[in-house]
Amino acid sequence: MRRIIWTFVIALIAAVGLGGVAIATSPGSAITVPRLDRTVAASFSNVYSQEAALEGHSGITPSSLHAKVACDKGPGVAQSGPGTNWNCLMSWTDPNTPMPSTGYGKFELNVHSNGCFTVGSPSSLIGYQTITDKRGRTVSNPAYEFDACLDPHGDNTPTGVSFPSALTVTSTTANVGPDGKVGVDLACGVGAGGCSGTVTGKTDTGVSLGSVPFKLTEQATTHLTLPTVLPAGAKQVTFTVTTTAGVAPSPSTLDVQGR
Amino acid sequence: MSTATITPPTNATTPARARARAGFGAALGFELRKLRAQWRTRAVLLGALLLPIPVAFAIHAQGNPPKDSLFGRYATTNGFALALLVLGYAGQWVLPLLTAIVAGDIFASEDHHGTWKTILTRSVSRSAFFSAKTVASMAFAVLTLLILAASTIVTSVLVAGHSDVIGLSGQLIPAAHAWRLVGASWLSTIPPTLAFTGLAVLLSVWSRNAAVGIAAPVVIGFILQLVGSMGSAEALRPYLPTTAYEAWHGFLAAPSFAGPFVTGVIASVAWTALTLGLAWTLLRRRDITGG
Repeated sequence: MRRIIWTFVIALIAAVGLGGVAIATSPGSAITVPRLDRTVAASFSNVYSQEAALEGHSGITPSSLHAKVACDKGPGVAQSGPGTNWNCLMSWTDPNTPMPSTGYGKFELNVHSNGCFTVGSPSSLIGYQTITDKRGRTVSNPAYEFDACLDPHGDNTPTGVSFPSALTVTSTTANVGPDGKVGVDLACGVGAGGCSGTVTGKTDTGVSLGSVPFKLTEQATTHLTLPTVLPAGAKQVTFTVTTTAGVAPSPSTLDVQGR
Repeated sequence: MSTATITPPTNATTPARARARAGFGAALGFELRKLRAQWRTRAVLLGALLLPIPVAFAIHAQGNPPKDSLFGRYATTNGFALALLVLGYAGQWVLPLLTAIVAGDIFASEDHHGTWKTILTRSVSRSAFFSAKTVASMAFAVLTLLILAASTIVTSVLVAGHSDVIGLSGQLIPAAHAWRLVGASWLSTIPPTLAFTGLAVLLSVWSRNAAVGIAAPVVIGFILQLVGSMGSAEALRPYLPTTAYEAWHGFLAAPSFAGPFVTGVIASVAWTALTLGLAWTLLRRRDITGG
């Protein structure tokens, strides 16, 4: 019996040792950005052309879309491996659905360790879970959410596609602090290079509130305070963002609150 | 059994190998006859044939499709997707359990009944006996898998229809082609199932206890799945028998890929060889005079 236990212990040590060697010499996860880019582009092109066929849009084929994808696992983490924090930015060509001002749509991925993943599409570009087909029936939308699996031995050369982050003003009102200055919240979305630039504020009475520079990594938010005290009588503030990195939003006019 | 004991005079000069082969054939026939007589074996085969029917009806009746699992999204409306959804679950624990029910018991039952001495003092050699029991367990594993696969595919298609199915690259697979892909996907689980048969045989020999032989392979299967899903152990993933159960994903992609299947077959063969080798070493060295 003792001999069997020793055999078992030695076998276990050998197995752990072999496993350790395999882990130490491995080239890393098979789930990489280039493989995700290619798999997401190919599978999206397939389901999107099926949606177009259901809706009766002719002439849309997987190859006519020219889908370009840049996947990203977020700032400060290794850009590989499974996770729910993958996002893919994608642009494609469909005369019926022009791209938004940023030039791409954002897709959210849940990637499993076996290389299969679920893609959640942006409703603004793809529509909702059910769509009305060309004969007026309600059918499920194949592109709303779809599953795909990547080839762990697939092409791993970078696709070279990258998209800038989209900057948005997330404040819904122009909040005035105790010092009488106006604050504004900014968010920098998924994309390469983060966001940087300046925000300027101007009241509805025509008074400039000055400008303030900012620099954000992707997927980050910040709170900025304009340098000039809000003059009496101003009811609205228009924020204008100019960027040196990232895509600027159109000027937003917000109601003054907090005074 | 008697064929091995009656050695014709003409065979007296032939090497021992011929006698061992005759012993193996006799022992295999005996093992298969024993399996056929066991209620447990019949229950497994009947279960493999009939259980897919309520499962297919139950999944088909769901208002919300089980989207968390691969092919769950279309499982309520498409028979091929339903058969592949069931395959996903089968690979997680059903197939290891079905093979372990026989393979985990086949050696331990001799301990349970105290029949080692009776068997091994006959003319059949220990090696013939080991290979006969192993081959019988593997034949049973493959038979169960084939019955389960055929039953699941036919039931799923009858219940949920055989329209074109959306594959794992979003591509539409025509029904005629989907039949072949679904069949190949089920068949691709034979190598890892045989690896689990080897594991169950090893545990059956080692523990001399049927409960360990049947339950432990399933538990080890779950542990291996956990190891494969851990980020730091991702390098081990391709070499686990549980990963080979997912190799069929590549068949359903466009362009399809067979890399994981090839790795899975190699890994499964290695696991089978290792477990059976260990089991044989343990059995060969065992002192059976104690009963």
